[in-house]
Amino acid sequence: MKNLNEETLLDLLCKKAVAFLDANELEQLKKLEKEFPEWKDDDSFELAATAINLSVIDSGEKMPFHLRSKIMANAEDYFGWNEGLQETISFEPRNEVNNGSLATSASYAPKTSFWQSLGWGVAAFACIALAVNLYLTRFQGQTDVAGNKPPVLQTPTPQPTDVQKREQLLASAKDTLKAEVAKADPKSPNEISGDIVWSGSEQKGYIRFRGLPANDSSKSTYQLWIFDEAQDEKYPIDGGVFDVNKDGEVIIPIDAKINVKNPKMFAITKEKPGGVVVSDRTGIVAIAKV
Amino acid sequence: MAQVILQRIADGDKTAVQDCLDNYGGLVWSLARRMCRNNADAEDAVQEIFIDVWKNAGRFDENQASETTFIAMIARRRLIDRLRKVTRKPDIDSLEDILYEPSKDSNEDILTSIEAKEAAKAMKELRPEQRQAIYLSIVQGCSHQEIAETLDMPLGTVKTHIRRGLMQMREILGSGNSGNSKEVSA
Repeated sequence: MKNLNEETLLDLLCKKAVAFLDANELEQLKKLEKEFPEWKDDDSFELAATAINLSVIDSGEKMPFHLRSKIMANAEDYFGWNEGLQETISFEPRNEVNNGSLATSASYAPKTSFWQSLGWGVAAFACIALAVNLYLTRFQGQTDVAGNKPPVLQTPTPQPTDVQKREQLLASAKDTLKAEVAKADPKSPNEISGDIVWSGSEQKGYIRFRGLPANDSSKSTYQLWIFDEAQDEKYPIDGGVFDVNKDGEVIIPIDAKINVKNPKMFAITKEKPGGVVVSDRTGIVAIAKV
Repeated sequence: MAQVILQRIADGDKTAVQDCLDNYGGLVWSLARRMCRNNADAEDAVQEIFIDVWKNAGRFDENQASETTFIAMIARRRLIDRLRKVTRKPDIDSLEDILYEPSKDSNEDILTSIEAKEAAKAMKELRPEQRQAIYLSIVQGCSHQEIAETLDMPLGTVKTHIRRGLMQMREILGSGNSGNSKEVSA
């Protein structure tokens, strides 16, 4: 059984992981870490909180180019690479730089030594040897190694489509509820139709619709919200984000971030890329009342 | 190969800095944008974060976390610290009002690290009320009071759920060091 001080220490480490500690709490943490040195510099709570955070974050964004350049300049200062070196490192992202140009800037022209030349020669020879080997094993292998069984082609198991998954849910879940999707603004020129199916026992569902205009995913995204009777209306449950890039019928699996107990309405809003945590609800495009 | 970037940085390998930005720049930028008031603030924060990354690169232990999680942890720590300085308030409420993270489809293909995938799975192993409290706290940035109101629970219960849930997540993710894991498993 842990004593009270260690309990307090754990409380502080937990709080530090999800928010910040005030000056008094930081001081208290330092004292307690002296008392329980095994907890000093413990990152495990923060790592757990970070992993949870990462499990829902959109990491697809790109850092602005000018910011990358600043950070590279900071790194050069920090590591002291500027001093006495003629070469300058490129600020271009590596994968972009590699498209037809060198990874270093034009001012960097390293001299080629004998050993470097020898290295390139060996590498070139290795490439040729590999090519010959591939030719012999791939194209002549069937006759040369006649005793071996031909390789068995692995046929990937087809994954059910969302259409099929929706049908499976309707067939298997006994508590499936259904709601019709309609445009939120009757004056909107877009004719939106469709339905939502949701199973409380499986905590799964699908939204199927037509008529939602395609969005430019670099500028916006659609987000589904679930209004649950068990939850304050101010905090609808995030049902996931999705993009529409085609006409016709679209089916999207619902990705409720927390348990949905008794949904009374679903709403689709148009939000910034990546979605939002709290929608200002100005961009409601469709609703489905249960 | 990606797992050794921080060790290369600690060794002063300048190409590793570019690799680091190629691999983790977007992630850090993404975190900063969500936790800062505006883009200018986010840019300042990202610069500070990467200085912290250079400083702490030698501390990285791949047995404890992936590079992604380690760098994101450094980012979160710096961002939280910046918010503390900006708000100058000793309570967590104002911070948590701002600590918004984006929500998105948690398709496993796009999760950013092994721990993130594990965390998504592990969250399902928590009791529903713990999961809700943890999610609202860490991801939605709700204050304990807001969570108490939302989930209609006493404030103390919310704190207990968050603490127990986080400890359980820590155990499931195996991020506790061996000595400490025992201590908090109860």
